[in-house]
Amino acid sequence: MCVLCGEFVAQAHWTDRHIEDRARSSETEIGDYHRDRRRDRILRASLANRVLAHYGLRLDDWSGSRYVLRDRKGGSELVQDLGSLWPVAGRMAGRTPDPLDPALMEAMSAAERPHQR
Amino acid sequence: MSKRPVTVVTGFLGSGKTTLLGKVLSGPSMSNTAVLVNEFGKVGLDHHLLRRTDERTVLLENGCVCCTTRDDLVGALLELLDLDEKGEIPRLDRVVIETTGLADPAPILFTVFTDPVLQHHFTVDLVVTTVDAVNGKLHLDDNPESVRQVAAADRVFLTKTDIADPETVRALASRLGSLNPSARVSQVAPGELDAAELFGPGTGETPRCIPESGAAGHEVRDTSSTSLTFDGPVDWAAFGVWLSMLLHARGEDVLRVKGLLDVGEDGPVVLNGVQHILHPPDHLDEWPDGDHRSRIIFITRRVPAEEILLSLRAFRDLLGASPRQLEVESPPVTRSGSSR
Repeated sequence: MCVLCGEFVAQAHWTDRHIEDRARSSETEIGDYHRDRRRDRILRASLANRVLAHYGLRLDDWSGSRYVLRDRKGGSELVQDLGSLWPVAGRMAGRTPDPLDPALMEAMSAAERPHQR
Repeated sequence: MSKRPVTVVTGFLGSGKTTLLGKVLSGPSMSNTAVLVNEFGKVGLDHHLLRRTDERTVLLENGCVCCTTRDDLVGALLELLDLDEKGEIPRLDRVVIETTGLADPAPILFTVFTDPVLQHHFTVDLVVTTVDAVNGKLHLDDNPESVRQVAAADRVFLTKTDIADPETVRALASRLGSLNPSARVSQVAPGELDAAELFGPGTGETPRCIPESGAAGHEVRDTSSTSLTFDGPVDWAAFGVWLSMLLHARGEDVLRVKGLLDVGEDGPVVLNGVQHILHPPDHLDEWPDGDHRSRIIFITRRVPAEEILLSLRAFRDLLGASPRQLEVESPPVTRSGSSR
């Protein structure tokens, strides 16, 4: 249950599983969990942004509970996780983000950073 | 408490699902196994064949287990859970769901993994697919359902091999191997089948490499598979971005994703997906064997599997590693049953 909006979240998306599972194991301190989770969310948003930039969109962590997806015209929507990101991104961009789309592949290759992470 | 494993047994009409189950379930080690079958075709007869588990067999009412009666499946599993927790039946070790011959197994996985209650009490550990050695080629040629069932399988059992000619069996086994390189293909001989053969953890569960072009003649028209690895650890968060996007855009055409992914930790991440539905990825503490490379198989329909490789290559900077195709190794076919 989200304490802010009261929405019932029935399931962690598979991309969130790693952190959530670790939180349930007793070895993790609650402080570590929040730090890991926060870091994970910021990292994931920045990775997703390298794809979303191609569609004129931008994703940011929203107080650790949601992500907010924005377009360049001032439109914004909240999304829960990566599972619900892509349908919303598709709607806002007017086309479905597709990793097999040649234009996206080209943009991803061209946008390689000089230094590997 | 650990989750109860659910095994999905699927296979085309008349491919011997019930016979296979009948062989296995008569064994004493299976007495705590509940079986869900559906009322379709000659299930009345099938049901009697599974008499050892009669009292646990919940007959689903509305035909196809998958799509139309997912609620029934939820209801049936909840009922079993209820009986188990009340102690009205002896401990429930395992549930076997036998699908109809035309069923797509994906919705069953979806039901178990996403139902708010079931997801905490059950997990799908195996999809077992039976293929009729005599008619299997015909089924694969003419029926996309049959192809989907094989693609979704963790284990494939070739049935009726005693009445098929050896050359047909060999050709079919090779075709199944190239269609789904991640599945273990076994031949079922007449006679008893050890339950461990069907349900037990076995070797060959991790994907093998497949001949890239040699088996091309066996490919089903628009279905292809590719096995790949990476030249280093992959960033798990980045891979999640890529894969979730792929499954959203092309989920119906990505029949299967299976493998181990090196994410730079002590152990790999186990990936197992059927169409839109991904098993919750397991982060293992250690590698299952000496080979510490990523090994992933993609089975796709309508999308040439090479495109997956091209896309991963384009995303190499994001992922932190470059993909490459795995080299040739032919899939072994094991015999089971009376040869043991």
